[in-house]
Amino acid sequence: MKNALLPRFGAVFALLILTAFTLISSTTMAQDSTATGAEGGDPAVGEKLWKANCAACHKVDAKLIGPALGQVTEKYDEEWLIAWIRNNQELRESGDAQALAIYEEYNGLAMSAYPQFSDDDIRGLLAYIDQEYAAKQAPAVADTGGGAGAAGSGQGSGPMDLTPVLIGLVVFLIIIVFILVRIKNLLLVMKGVEPRSAIDQFFDLRVYVERFFANKKLVGFAAVIVLIFVFNGLWGFLKGIGVDQNYQPTQPIAFSHEIHAGQNEVDCNYCHSSARHSKSAGVPSANVCMNCHMYVAEGQSEQGTKEIEKIYAAIGWDKNTRTYIEDYEEKPIEWVRIHNLPDLAYFNHSQHVVAGQVECQTCHGPIEEMKEVYQYSELTMGWCINCHRETEVKMEDNPYYDKLHEQLAEEYKGEKITVDKIGGLECGKCHY
Amino acid sequence: MATTKKYWKGIEELQNDAAVQELAKNEFPEEVATADFLGDEKVSDTKTTRRDFLKFMGFSTAAATLAACETPVQKVIPYVVKPEEVTPGVANYYATTYSDGEDFASVLVKTREGRPIKIETNNDAPMNGAMTSRVQASVLNLYDTARSKAPMKDGAEITWATVDADIKKAIADAEAAGKKVIFLTNSITSPSINAVGAEFMTMHPGASHVSYDAVSYSGILDAHSEVFGKRALPSYHFDKAEVVVGVGADFLGEHLNFGNSRDYIKMRDPRHGKMSRHWQFESNMSITGANADKRVMVKPSEQGKVILSLYNALAAKNGNPAVGSTKTAYDADVNAVANKLWAARGKSLVVAGSNDADVQKVTIAINQILGNYGATLDIDRANKTKQGNDAEVATLLADMKAGQVGVLVMMGVNPVYSHAMGAEFAEAMKKVDTTAVMDDRMTETAISANYLLPTNHYLESWDDAMPVEGYYTLAQPTIQKLYDTRSPLENMLAWTGKGAAYDFIKNHWGQNILVAGAGSWNRAVHDGFYVQPQSAGENTESKEAPVLVDVSGAARAIAQQKGSDLELELYTKSGLGSGASANNPWLQEFPDPITRTSWDNYLTVSRTDVEAMGLVNENTSNGALNGSLVNVTVNGTTVENVPVMIQPGQAPGSVGLALGYGRTAAGIVGNGVGVNAFPLYLNGSTTQTGVTIEKVDGMHEFACIQLAHTMMGRHIVKETTLEEFIANPSAGNDEPTFETHEGVKPASEVNLWEEFDKTTGHWWNLSIDLNNCIGCGACVVACQAENNVPVVGKDEIRRSRDMHWLRIDRYYSSEMTKDRAEEEGLGAIEMYAAMEDPADAPEVVFQPVMCQHCNHAPCETVCPVGATAHSSEGLNHMAYNRCIGTRYCANNCPYKVRRFNWFNYPTYSKFNDVNPAQDEWGKMVLNPDVTVRARGVMEKCTMCLQRIQLGKLEAKREGRPVADGDFTVACAGACDTGAITFGDVNDPESRVHKIREEPRRYYLLEEIGTKPSVFYQTKVRNKA
Repeated sequence: MKNALLPRFGAVFALLILTAFTLISSTTMAQDSTATGAEGGDPAVGEKLWKANCAACHKVDAKLIGPALGQVTEKYDEEWLIAWIRNNQELRESGDAQALAIYEEYNGLAMSAYPQFSDDDIRGLLAYIDQEYAAKQAPAVADTGGGAGAAGSGQGSGPMDLTPVLIGLVVFLIIIVFILVRIKNLLLVMKGVEPRSAIDQFFDLRVYVERFFANKKLVGFAAVIVLIFVFNGLWGFLKGIGVDQNYQPTQPIAFSHEIHAGQNEVDCNYCHSSARHSKSAGVPSANVCMNCHMYVAEGQSEQGTKEIEKIYAAIGWDKNTRTYIEDYEEKPIEWVRIHNLPDLAYFNHSQHVVAGQVECQTCHGPIEEMKEVYQYSELTMGWCINCHRETEVKMEDNPYYDKLHEQLAEEYKGEKITVDKIGGLECGKCHY
Repeated sequence: MATTKKYWKGIEELQNDAAVQELAKNEFPEEVATADFLGDEKVSDTKTTRRDFLKFMGFSTAAATLAACETPVQKVIPYVVKPEEVTPGVANYYATTYSDGEDFASVLVKTREGRPIKIETNNDAPMNGAMTSRVQASVLNLYDTARSKAPMKDGAEITWATVDADIKKAIADAEAAGKKVIFLTNSITSPSINAVGAEFMTMHPGASHVSYDAVSYSGILDAHSEVFGKRALPSYHFDKAEVVVGVGADFLGEHLNFGNSRDYIKMRDPRHGKMSRHWQFESNMSITGANADKRVMVKPSEQGKVILSLYNALAAKNGNPAVGSTKTAYDADVNAVANKLWAARGKSLVVAGSNDADVQKVTIAINQILGNYGATLDIDRANKTKQGNDAEVATLLADMKAGQVGVLVMMGVNPVYSHAMGAEFAEAMKKVDTTAVMDDRMTETAISANYLLPTNHYLESWDDAMPVEGYYTLAQPTIQKLYDTRSPLENMLAWTGKGAAYDFIKNHWGQNILVAGAGSWNRAVHDGFYVQPQSAGENTESKEAPVLVDVSGAARAIAQQKGSDLELELYTKSGLGSGASANNPWLQEFPDPITRTSWDNYLTVSRTDVEAMGLVNENTSNGALNGSLVNVTVNGTTVENVPVMIQPGQAPGSVGLALGYGRTAAGIVGNGVGVNAFPLYLNGSTTQTGVTIEKVDGMHEFACIQLAHTMMGRHIVKETTLEEFIANPSAGNDEPTFETHEGVKPASEVNLWEEFDKTTGHWWNLSIDLNNCIGCGACVVACQAENNVPVVGKDEIRRSRDMHWLRIDRYYSSEMTKDRAEEEGLGAIEMYAAMEDPADAPEVVFQPVMCQHCNHAPCETVCPVGATAHSSEGLNHMAYNRCIGTRYCANNCPYKVRRFNWFNYPTYSKFNDVNPAQDEWGKMVLNPDVTVRARGVMEKCTMCLQRIQLGKLEAKREGRPVADGDFTVACAGACDTGAITFGDVNDPESRVHKIREEPRRYYLLEEIGTKPSVFYQTKVRNKA
């Protein structure tokens, strides 16, 4: 009778776990579909062309190098626009008043010609401009009532934190087990059986304690095990002193590697150019940021735009006139250093990046996924040494190693030639 | 020939005092007092009880534990707009010129993140000048906190606008009052300053220019002016001279050394089967004398007579009449010299150091007879680095006293300190209406002047120079001005309204210097130099048979010169020179190559004179040297409390004293170090007769590096003669042997250890050719700059705690040999006693010693923590962070090259005044690639591991093998004479590989089986 209860416990457990997982997974799926534009052009075609050809100089809602194109289809007729976009110089030479007026307004700064665009291409482009402009206007209108909603959707895209759900589930299950035990005991009482059952005996600690202490050898053995664990814990703690793994300080600019290296796939070397030439990978100077942010003045969110403006404040760029402010007192950006080797250790980025062909991610982790950078690796000597023991030297196609490779290949017949085999563990290779 | 000479390191070792013997056994002679070691002198005065102490301890331990939990936040601040040429972590090099009126050198400046940190030789320049220790150390002067930071008027800061207005007004006032306007400058070699100066003179016709050198070359200039109608120095070409005779001229050290050593050594390579023959007649032991094949001790007053005697000997051969009748005690030597010179006509060189125009005139005549002008001497492309005119300076002083001078502007000169009449000069300055000094600090002269116009360091300025006619060099700034300063050129431009220095120099070069089509400004800036093509008309005059100058008048004057019982020869040391850089701690700590003494000047006296005068040199219980004090009087002028040092090779009846010490306004490092000898520098003559010395009470404490590293009684320097070398290239280089059960075996084949294989990869080796090392010591300072070696100050040096990674041991020889003892039937005791008998004229050898990077290293086996270990590339590594400071390694090192950090030199207050790493400015000179060592760790030469690693990395990055000469170590890079060669011996094409195969190669203390990666080459002297 009492055994018959146990499978039911299992069933409850299984059911609960299944329910919980179903619930979790259902919350992560939420998608909206996009509408297509009209007016004869395909905005999807337009979008591609826009990004490839126009975005460097134009925005839909603001003046960049060229004018804001938001309501261009309202101002000019389609035929004229097609002619202008395809070859504005021809249009100007034909004496078109509108064309000349624009040319004058922009101080004789000519727009490139796109003779390769078909009429449909240009219609698509115009459709895309209209669609984008409408999209830009819509949130501005909705903003008065739906600011909170916009913020909510901005955060929704990140991975969900499952910890509270799991904790809730565990608590819930413990309560269920407790209730079931009580019910079982109640049933036993109702049958007139003494409630102290085998299970109760099973849970009676005194028996175990007595038996345990009766066995001297076991006590000794346990003591050793406990001590080992204590020392191991202490050793681990002591080893961790000064190790700043996962150090993730707040930076003066909330720069996101996820946006730059991840979404936009900017090469690491573009900003950290000295990684190939120098011991330090180098924090890019503000003028490197400006190579892009001269044109990209808006972030993915309002906050992003504010962060970009911090670069302008550092270097003295006037966003409105699109010029550098003269005699501006530059304000250097004081980043917080994350990766910091002690002075006694010499590390050279170019050695690892160029000669060793090590990927940035090997030491810095999934940097392209980091919104905020943290120290991925331990950066301890043990960590360095371990890598030197495991990493093969990149000898192919590097004439520096030709002679050495020949000699070592003979010495270590068939074995991998790792960094330690060419002296990568010697003190003076890093400490001088 | 004698090949088993006995060398001794100093007179103390020679006398073999009990203290010296004790010291020889004990490398670290004195216990450090606990209070000293803890570094708090006030511990004994405090009222803290033991109980309180424990409480504090407990609290601070807890606090430290808490504090340790959090890593301090570090900032990393990039450029806002990064200069294109700067990559953080990568050094940039700029070609520039060091020219301060004293030295000249074409140099490359290494900068890191915009800070100059090291001076290197510009090997592309056809005339490099001399890479002396002063040039090497000059980068530290940039960060000297004693530099003046803004213009001053009577002790108050003013602006440059005020300066310009005041000076212009003062000049106008002087002109109105009919008073003189004088510019007193050092020797100006800058064509641009000369051009703007000429402009100034046309604007102000009453103004005039007087040149003044702290150490005068007026005599030689006047003599050439008289003979050739050109007030200039001849350019020496030692590389063409087969016979070289120096008379009181330290041409390898301080006498007009603008690359002499580099040229000289080209003729000293025994591999060619011939070497130049070098005689030196001198009274003080100089570097040049130490390197001579034959050195003759001559009293200062006799040097002129030696020259005259030499003239007569040569005149007789040439069929010219003899002038005067001089018989000197040196006639045997003089005749031998004359024969050699006569045989090497047109390929010889006679150089006299005297500042007496008569002696120089006779020297000119000698070189004319020998046909040396146009061959080894060039007056067409004359040397312009010295222009001082003693007569004009004397006139100026008289004018000043008479109140005829309205404005006196001084540029790079410090006459109140460096003129014999300094005190008088200071008085006379008061009679000048307006005095202004352009100098980098508030010098002795600037204190007495109305205006101090602080100057840039040469690394902050655009400048140019013409050290030799037709040879132009450019100086470019390598850092922004640190303070509100202006270079002399900028001042002159401001006062003539000629715009900025860069524009002016560029225009001037474009219009006057760069030959159209053959020279480009950008190229000149890049290279740092420009050589004007020699025009066809040039260099014809001296090829014609020279009209022999009439020297009868000069001869009469020389013959009348009277000697005296005791004579003084003043000299400058290769570290401090005339004292302008006295506040440079690297130079103060740099040991004199001959006496091996730092932080001092002293009276060098021969042993016989010392005994006769009852003076002593003695060692204290810790081995440090003490010397008697004397007052030195010349012609009524007395310099008090001069310490006495016994100098082997000092001509009896003469004493020597170095100029450049005893500054009072140099700065915290240089003030009060040594005594000022300039008051004895009467009439601009380095030789003074009628000297009296009087013993005074007390003893002086010297800081010598001479007994700290004893290697006595063994064959550590191997030597032979050219004759023997030609007969047998391995002469003098007998390999030590051992008796074994298998018979006699050479040391290289007897081994306690397992053989090692160094054929894989690189094997870095260093070769030191003792024949090329002239002992100048530029490498010592270069090493200090490259490797962040701390300065420890006089007291620590005295305790033998010097920190230089590289030392140049100097050994004197004695004529007694084992062979001779056998001949004379002397017993061992008598023989050793005789070996230690002071030779009247010892031969001197120099031996640079750094870590030998033993492949069977004694230090490695005794380190209990494995802090020093061997690398696969043949280097002995030292991991500072692992070292716990047992000092076992130093005790077990047979070469005594390991240095222990007894204190925290970068922070401890005792070293505030001497260690440049202590202040915010001085820190900037540190090499960021080399760790600054903390207290309690051992350090030593790493063979510039940072350079090796970088050199290999560059090769790997560029995908090519390391080529020989891609990079070198700091000491080798600084060596003008090529004594040090660095390279990979596993590369069969490398120079070091080839040198290693030569029969002169030997290992230091080979018999102990350390198998070093550093090897030496036997020294060869030309005794033929």
